[in-house]
Amino acid sequence: MIKKEKLVEGAKILRAGKLIEIVGLGNVFSGTYHVEKTPHSIGFGNSFRTAFVVKPRNSDDIAKLVKLANDTQTPLVPVSSGPPHFRGDSAPGTGGAVIVDLTKMKKVIRVDRAHRVAMVEPGVTFGELIPAVKKEGLRLNMPLLPRKSKSVVGSMLEREPVVMPKYHWDISDPLACVEVVFGNGEMFRTGQAAGPGTIEEQWAAGGAQKTPYGPGPAQWYRLIQGAQGTMGIVTWASLRCELLPKLEEPFVVGSPDLDKLFELVHWLVRLRLVNECLVLNNSNLAALVAKKWPGDYQDLKDSLPPWVLFFNVAGYDYFPEERVSSQIKGISDLTNRIGVEAERAVGRVSAAEMLKTVQRPSAEPYWKLRYRGACHDIFFITTYEKLEGQIGVMQELANEFGYPASDMGIYLQPIVQGANCHCEFNLFYDPENPSELNRVEELSSFAVTALMATGAFFSRPYGKSARMIVNRDAAYVEALTRVKEILDPNRVMNPGKLCF
Amino acid sequence: MAISKDVYKEFEDVVGAENISDDPVIKAAYRSPDLTVVLPGNTEEVAAVIKLCNKHKIPYKAQSTGWSFMPPTYDFIFLDLRRMNRIIEINEKNMYAVVEPYVISAELQGELFKRGMICNVKGAGSTCTALAMSGHGHMGLTTSTGDRNDLATEWVTDEGEIIRLGTLGASDEWFCGDGPGPSLRGILRGGGVITKQATKVYHWPGPSEYPLEGVSPRYTLGKKPSDLNMMVRYFSFPSIEKLVEAELKIGESEIAFELMGFCPSMVSSNITTSNEEDFATLDKFTKEVQGPGFMVIIAGNFDEDFAYKKKALAQIIKETDGKSLKTVEDPAVESTLLFQCTRVCASIRETFRAGGMFSSMMVQGQRYDNHVKWLEEGAVLKRELIKKGLVIADDGQQFGWGEEQGHLGHTEIFCRFNPYDEKSSKAVQEWLGKLGKRALDGCFAVPAMGVLPVDEIGKRVSNYHVWFGKLKKAFDPNEVGENTGYSYVGADISGVHTSIYKKEPEKASPKQ
Ligand SMILES: Cc1cc2nc3c(=O)[nH]c(=O)nc-3n(C[C@H](O)[C@H](O)[C@H](O)COP(=O)(O)OP(=O)(O)OC[C@H]3O[C@@H](n4cnc5c(N)ncnc54)[C@H](O)[C@@H]3O)c2cc1C
Repeated sequence: MIKKEKLVEGAKILRAGKLIEIVGLGNVFSGTYHVEKTPHSIGFGNSFRTAFVVKPRNSDDIAKLVKLANDTQTPLVPVSSGPPHFRGDSAPGTGGAVIVDLTKMKKVIRVDRAHRVAMVEPGVTFGELIPAVKKEGLRLNMPLLPRKSKSVVGSMLEREPVVMPKYHWDISDPLACVEVVFGNGEMFRTGQAAGPGTIEEQWAAGGAQKTPYGPGPAQWYRLIQGAQGTMGIVTWASLRCELLPKLEEPFVVGSPDLDKLFELVHWLVRLRLVNECLVLNNSNLAALVAKKWPGDYQDLKDSLPPWVLFFNVAGYDYFPEERVSSQIKGISDLTNRIGVEAERAVGRVSAAEMLKTVQRPSAEPYWKLRYRGACHDIFFITTYEKLEGQIGVMQELANEFGYPASDMGIYLQPIVQGANCHCEFNLFYDPENPSELNRVEELSSFAVTALMATGAFFSRPYGKSARMIVNRDAAYVEALTRVKEILDPNRVMNPGKLCF
Repeated sequence: MAISKDVYKEFEDVVGAENISDDPVIKAAYRSPDLTVVLPGNTEEVAAVIKLCNKHKIPYKAQSTGWSFMPPTYDFIFLDLRRMNRIIEINEKNMYAVVEPYVISAELQGELFKRGMICNVKGAGSTCTALAMSGHGHMGLTTSTGDRNDLATEWVTDEGEIIRLGTLGASDEWFCGDGPGPSLRGILRGGGVITKQATKVYHWPGPSEYPLEGVSPRYTLGKKPSDLNMMVRYFSFPSIEKLVEAELKIGESEIAFELMGFCPSMVSSNITTSNEEDFATLDKFTKEVQGPGFMVIIAGNFDEDFAYKKKALAQIIKETDGKSLKTVEDPAVESTLLFQCTRVCASIRETFRAGGMFSSMMVQGQRYDNHVKWLEEGAVLKRELIKKGLVIADDGQQFGWGEEQGHLGHTEIFCRFNPYDEKSSKAVQEWLGKLGKRALDGCFAVPAMGVLPVDEIGKRVSNYHVWFGKLKKAFDPNEVGENTGYSYVGADISGVHTSIYKKEPEKASPKQ
C-alpha cells in the first residue's frame, strides 16, 4: 500500500508535469509504495520507489495515461480497491512504476431492473453498490464478506468466487461487459456493449450491456479477467444482478463428515434449491460472526461442529411461501436420505444471523484480520471428492511447520453451478511477529507445491508462486504471450506479473 | 487433385492410406472439387496434419459432424473428425461430460438421461456435435449456451500446437477451463481445432428414456407428460408487450425448464409430417391464437415442486392475458412436443421441409425484448415477400427464447424458400441485407453472420474485426486456418465476400 502519500510538490512537479496535465494537480501524488508484509508479496517488507500515484477522474484520463506510458515506457499498475491490499498483484513488480489508482472513479452509471444489470466504474465498492441496486429490487451475487474498500469491478476481474452457486453459470459471472483501455492505448468495449452505437444509443434502442461474449468469435472479457492488470485498464464494467427475494429461509447443517455435507451440497445446487450455499470450518465461522474478541471467538468456536454448511431458500414474486415450503420439502427428503439435519442454528450461531452477515461486506476491521491482525490465504479450485485429501495435506503440513492446524480457517465454496469448488485456507498470523510471518511464508510456499500435486488448480495465482504456477505449461504461456503482444505490445501494463 | 502426389503422401503417412482420399466421388460427397479429405484418429494426428498444412501453406478446414457444412471454395485439406467419436467421461458428481468432436448431442444426451442429467443441445438439433462450441438451443433457459458451457478443452491451434486449457494443462483433469491467469477460452472460437472438451451438464428431472411408440415419421410418446411431472403448453398473447412481460416473469420466477418462443408455424411444422398437413395445421392455429406466443415446458423435480411451478405459471399467464392453445393441451400433441423439444429433433421440419432452404437473421445472447421492435420490422418486410409468393407463407413471425432464466436470450426470424428459384433466393438475400443494415443503424444488434461485409459491421462495433484480425495473425501466421473473420466454431458461414483478409484462391493454392 502507499505509505505517506502526499501531493507532489517542488521539483517533482516538473517531473510529474505530463501526469498533472492529464489528471490535474490535485490527483498526482508522490510516495513510496510499501509492500504489505504478507507472504504473497514479492520481497515483502521492501519498499519500491513508485514514480507517482495518479488518480484518474474518467476514462479519458485513463486513455491519455496509457498513451503517455507507451510514449515514455513507464510501467502502469492499475488499482481499483482501497487498502489494505493482500495479494501483491497491485504491488509494482518493478521500480519507477506509476500507480493508476481508480478509487476516485465512483460512478454507479446505471442500474436496470428490467434487464437485471448494473454498470459501475472501478472505484465503486460493494458497500456502495449494494444499496444502489437494492433500491431497484436487485441484489449482487458477491464474494463472501468482501472488505469494505473492495472494488466490485476489481473482484470480478479477479474471478473471485461468489456465494450463490446457482446463479454462477460460468466462472466469469457475474461480469457482463467492460470498457477497457488496452495496453496499447486503444479503447475497446466487450460483449453486447461493443456496438453498434454508443452506450447511450444502445439504451435508447432498448438494449442493455449484458451479453458477455463477442463481438465476433472471441470472448474478449475472458482475456482481461484473471490478468491482474497486465492487459489493460477497465474503465467501467457491467454485471448481472439477481432479484431481491420476497422471502428467505436460511438453514445450517453441522457435521464432522465433510463427505456427507458435500453430498447434500451437490444435490442442493444440482436441483437449484438454494441461493447462498457455502461451507466453513469452525474457525472461520467463529471468525465471521464473533463480536467480542478474543473471548467470544473461542466460545463460539468451541460451540461448533468441525464443519458447517450454510444455505438459504428463497421465494420470489409468485407465492413465495409456497415456493419456499416446496423447496424445503425437497431439501428434507435429501437430508433424510443423506442422514444430516438442517437446522435454524448450530452451536451459538443462528442461520438468520449468518444470512445477514453474508449479504453485506465485512464490518471493520476486515473479518480476516480480527483474530491475529493479518491473514494469508491459500486458495484454489478443486472438485468435491478431492477436498478431504487436500484438506488433510494442508493440515498435516501446517502442523509440521508449527502452525496449529486447528487455528486455520477453511472456506469451501461451490461455484459454476456445482462443477467446481473453491477451497480456501486462511492462515491467521501476527504481522508484527517475524517468526510467525516466516513460518506462514514457508508453509505457504510448501503448501502450494504439495497441493498442486493433489490436483489443486491455482487458477488465480498471486505473488511469489504465480510465476511457477503459470510457467508449468509452456504452450499455454506461449499462447498467453501472443495475446499480450497484441493488447500490450510495449509491456507497460503491470510488468513482472504472471508470466509477463 | 489439388495437392501434389508427394504432399499427399506426407499426409497419408500421418493418418494411413485408408483415412485419406481425393477420389472424385468422395470429393463430390463433400461438395467441393478442390479438397483432399483427411480423417485423423486422434489429437496428435490432427496436430501433425495441421503442421503439414503450415509447412506447405495449404489451407484446411475441420468439421465435427458437417451439419452446417459450407466448404469454402479455397480449402484443400478437409479434416473430417468423424473418427474422433468417444465420450471420454461423464462426471456426475461434478456435472460435466468430456467428448470428442464426433459425439453428437443425441448420443451424449442418451447417456446422460440414464443418469438423470442433460446437456445443452444446439437449436440446430441433436445431430450436431456435443462439443460446447457455440450453440444456442431450446433448453437454454436451464442449460445455458455453448459459449458458456465449456470447461477444460484440448485445442490444436492453426499452427498445429496442442494447447490444454485450465486444469487439463495443470493436472490432466477436466473440471475447469480458465487460467492460470487470463482465460484462453476467450480465443478458442477464433480458429484451430477443438479435439476434446468438457462441457457442463445439468439435472434432468424427466425419464431415463422416452418410451416411443409408432413408426417414423409419426412417433408418439407412450406416456402422458403429466405422469412424468411434466407439462407442455403453448400460450398466445394479445400483444408482444404482454408476451415479453410473461416471458420475463417466467424467467425471473425460475419455474420453467424450457421456454421456446415458437411462432405458430414452428409448432405446426414440428408436430406434422408433411407440408400439406403442416399448412392445414398452421391455418387452424392461426385462427386459434390471439397474437404472438411461446411454448413452455414445466418439469417438476418432485410433486410439490411441480405443483408450485404450475400454479405460478397459471398466475403469470392470467396476469398477462395469455391464452392456451387447445391443440397442445391434448396429451398426444403435448407429448410429441415434449420429446421433440427436449431431444431437439425437429429442426429440419421447422427449417428445410417447407421450401428446401431457409435463411435466417438471428441474434444470440441478447434478450428477446431487446430486438423485438427491430425484428417486427423484419416481419413486416417478410410479409411483403410472402404476398409476392417468394417465400413460404408462414405468417412471417419472428421467434426467440430465454436463456439462463431470462438473463440472456436468442431472437430469430427466417424465410423458408425454394433455393432453385433465383428470384426467391435474391429476394431473401436482399431482405437479410436490409434487416442487417437496420440492426446497425438502429443500434439494435450485430447482424447475423455473412449478411454484410465484416468491415462494414466491424467499424460500427468497436472495430472488433481489426482486433480479431490481429489474433488471427498471431495464431495463424501462415493463413491456413479459417479466414472468414465471422467463423466461429459451431455456427459458421464462409462467404468469400466477408473475408477479413481476402485470399486469392490461386495464390493460396499449392498446385504444383
Ligand atoms: C437447420 C439449422 C438450424 C440451426 N439452428 C441453430 C440454432 O438454433 N442455434 C445455433 O446455435 N445454431 C444453429 N445452427 C447452426 C449450428 O450451430 C451449427 O450448425 C452446429 O453447431 C454445427 O455443429 P457441428 O460442429 O456438428 O457442424 P460442423 O459443420 O461440423 O461445424 C460447424 C463449424 O465449426 C467448425 N468446427 C467443427 N468442428 C470443429 C472442431 N472440432 N474444432 C474447431 N472447429 C470446428 C467447422 O469448421 C464449421 O465452421 C443451425 C444450423 C442449421 C443447419
